[in-house]
Amino acid sequence: MFRYALRRALWAIPTLIGVSLVVFLMTTLLPDPLAPYPTGGSSASSIDPVTFDKLTEERRSRFLDLPRFVNTDPRDVRILTDEYVGHIVADDDDATVSARRLAALGGAALPHLLPRFDNLPAAGRKRVALALVPVARRMRRPDEGAFETEGDATLFWSRFWDDHSIDFTEPAAKRAVDRLVEHGGEEREQDLYLLDTFALPYVMAAMGRTDRRDALAQLARVAAHATERDGSIPDDALATTVRARQADWGAWWFVHENDFVPFSGAERVAASVSQTRYAKWMLGAILGQLTSGSGEDLSLGDRLQRRGLLTLSLTFLAMLLSYGLAVPLGVISAYRKNRPVDRALALGLFVIYALPSFVLGEICVNLFGLGHAAFFAVLTLAAGSVATLSRFQRAAVLEVLGSDYVRAARAKGVFGVRLLVVHALRNAIMPMVTLAGVQIPTLIGGAFVVEEVFSLRGMGWETLRAIERHDSAWIVVAVLATALLATFTLLASDVVHGLLDPRVRETLRRRGA
Amino acid sequence: MKAERAVPGTLRRALSEVRRKRGASVGITAFAMLLLVAIFADFFASPLPVYGTVRGHTYVLANVTRPRELQSMSHAELEAELARGFALRALVHWGPAETGTAVLRPPLASAGHVLGTDSDGRDVFSVLVHGARVVVSFALLCVALLVAFGALVGALGGFFGGVFDAIVARSVETMTAFPTIVLVLAFQAMMPKASTLTLLLAISLTRWAEVARLVRGEVIAVSGQDYVLAARALGASPLRILVRYVFPNARAQALVSATFALATVILVEASCDFLGLGIEESSPTWGHLMAQSRHHPGAWWLLAFPALALLGTVVSQNVVGEALRDALDPRGDVLAERPVDEAPEQGTAARSP
Repeated sequence: MFRYALRRALWAIPTLIGVSLVVFLMTTLLPDPLAPYPTGGSSASSIDPVTFDKLTEERRSRFLDLPRFVNTDPRDVRILTDEYVGHIVADDDDATVSARRLAALGGAALPHLLPRFDNLPAAGRKRVALALVPVARRMRRPDEGAFETEGDATLFWSRFWDDHSIDFTEPAAKRAVDRLVEHGGEEREQDLYLLDTFALPYVMAAMGRTDRRDALAQLARVAAHATERDGSIPDDALATTVRARQADWGAWWFVHENDFVPFSGAERVAASVSQTRYAKWMLGAILGQLTSGSGEDLSLGDRLQRRGLLTLSLTFLAMLLSYGLAVPLGVISAYRKNRPVDRALALGLFVIYALPSFVLGEICVNLFGLGHAAFFAVLTLAAGSVATLSRFQRAAVLEVLGSDYVRAARAKGVFGVRLLVVHALRNAIMPMVTLAGVQIPTLIGGAFVVEEVFSLRGMGWETLRAIERHDSAWIVVAVLATALLATFTLLASDVVHGLLDPRVRETLRRRGA
Repeated sequence: MKAERAVPGTLRRALSEVRRKRGASVGITAFAMLLLVAIFADFFASPLPVYGTVRGHTYVLANVTRPRELQSMSHAELEAELARGFALRALVHWGPAETGTAVLRPPLASAGHVLGTDSDGRDVFSVLVHGARVVVSFALLCVALLVAFGALVGALGGFFGGVFDAIVARSVETMTAFPTIVLVLAFQAMMPKASTLTLLLAISLTRWAEVARLVRGEVIAVSGQDYVLAARALGASPLRILVRYVFPNARAQALVSATFALATVILVEASCDFLGLGIEESSPTWGHLMAQSRHHPGAWWLLAFPALALLGTVVSQNVVGEALRDALDPRGDVLAERPVDEAPEQGTAARSP
């Protein structure tokens, strides 16, 4: 039996891959924000730098800078630094953009640059030193504020590594972050300013570990300072806002991690697969690390939890209600086949069946108002399923009633309720168990519409708002979540069917599964 | 049991059997009427005359040709012109896009508006009639697309088997995991420019799997038949077998699923319209009318009439579909025997998402 369940579970894997591919296909429809500008790429001649950076950032948050399925050229901070320095030294067309990018890489680039800084040609060295001036400013070095001459900058960076290479190591950075989390304080924050973006991996890790508000606020301040990104956590923020900011940093880090962290050996191998648009979207959706744009007061996880709970309970209750109604109705119509009761039920259910759920919902709203919205929502949602399920139940009971063992029971003198429930229904209920699995996608889809009708704040409501705000992250997560739920309920209902039905059990035993 | 179903020419027999059934013939008649209304919408509701004289110029079939000089005239002006002489008019004198001064009137409350007006002063009857045209043509196109694709994929998968079939089977399973309306909404939302065309593609993309599943099952059943073996033994090429022996049988199944798909597409489209992500607002549809009723709770006519139209359409298609399926399946019930690890035969009839 266990082997049967396992094999059935393995069969779900291709489906899951298929589901992820369909969702990915959906994300490829998203327009490329840089597409309207002919130059695109790295040179930004036709757009002003600020807009260009904003659009590039937007593009990256949708992973459009990555290839779809295979990345033959995954880039980490080491490779990026070499590339930017190369452009700056050569002083080519991309030099200006590269200088800006190098400054954005910041402290994390220094270990890959400064050790060979003195080997650069003199003119190139000067340009690189100038490009790094914003980094020095972020580090609050030199203390007096600005460099007197260009030569000073070169000298500063030549000396910098001699003095500080010991700070730019994993243990030192980790210790500095730990001290900040444990003790707090202005001075320890200043210590981290020196490390600039080099401290980010440890800051991000610490942010994921702690939920102390003061520590989070300080970590966010350090991160915001190094990245020149607005992500601070106000002191009077609500708990949900704090979580939203935390999630926002997590999502940002998910996009930008390799700007600041070099690949380790194994990562370099995996990067050709993991640094792709497909992998990033799917991982991001599963880990809840997608950016849903600005102005969101709730993190993606919080939203899914809140909205999903409502939709799930609607779906579950509607399922219970529809089974509770459909089984007896189906049995009655089968028992009274082609009599007035059967005919009337068939007609009534057929009408309900053909009306879209939003019409039923609107009728309820018009008649009863929004007073008992949840109750009527479940009722509306269940109505369609009752029609489908009871027809199946009727057919199943009819089939069983025609079988030999029921005739035998009849001959024995069993009739009425006992015949129906004890003898017929036990077998006729089996197909209904499997139907539960296929009923779920229908019900969830119905719930999306019904929620809108009754103004219930579930996933459907949230999705429609997300569509208005072009919040692709939520849409991806919502579609993926519903499809995964449907896949798993289908799996579960198949396994349960196997467990319940003695005929299936017997077949499996004979096959040795 | 199966052999009976696989005799060539089943489709023709099934059709004649369906025609004999009373319920089904009512359904067919209702659908034919809907088609007629859709085709001749301009004769049911149009401000322009079928025959009439305006400013000394006589127009014939102006409601269909829609001459520019008449369209530029205001409604009142045109009415006055036409009232002067003999004119043959459409049933209702309002076009679907025309906004009159009577806003949100219940049925029969103001002259000329039999079924009342909507919140922009459009005539409900006119929107219904012209909406039928939009809805029916949309659904027919969409179904043609998804049935063609689904039937082709399903037939090829079922016939050739092997890796290709495995891919088809998994894709079908994948697509059935998505709630239709959710996927359609998501696709519409992700499109750079959502339009009627993208809606059509999105619905086709989500619904082809159902057709492919049924056709594939049928093709697998047919491919094992003796006459197919005989053809193979006689040296017929796979292509010939597919075209001459397998397709004709799968055609019947495709027709059944097309009938149900038509109803499903109409329901999904109406739901999308209702949620504001369907056909463009400028086209009249039943869904748009019903969407309006949300903001005007008392205006029951905005909900009731399109809902009845929808009900009639979907019921008639489901009746025809079920009759057709019963005629094709000698067992005459919805539950087919199935092996343990296969998904059950779903309720094929259309159901709103």
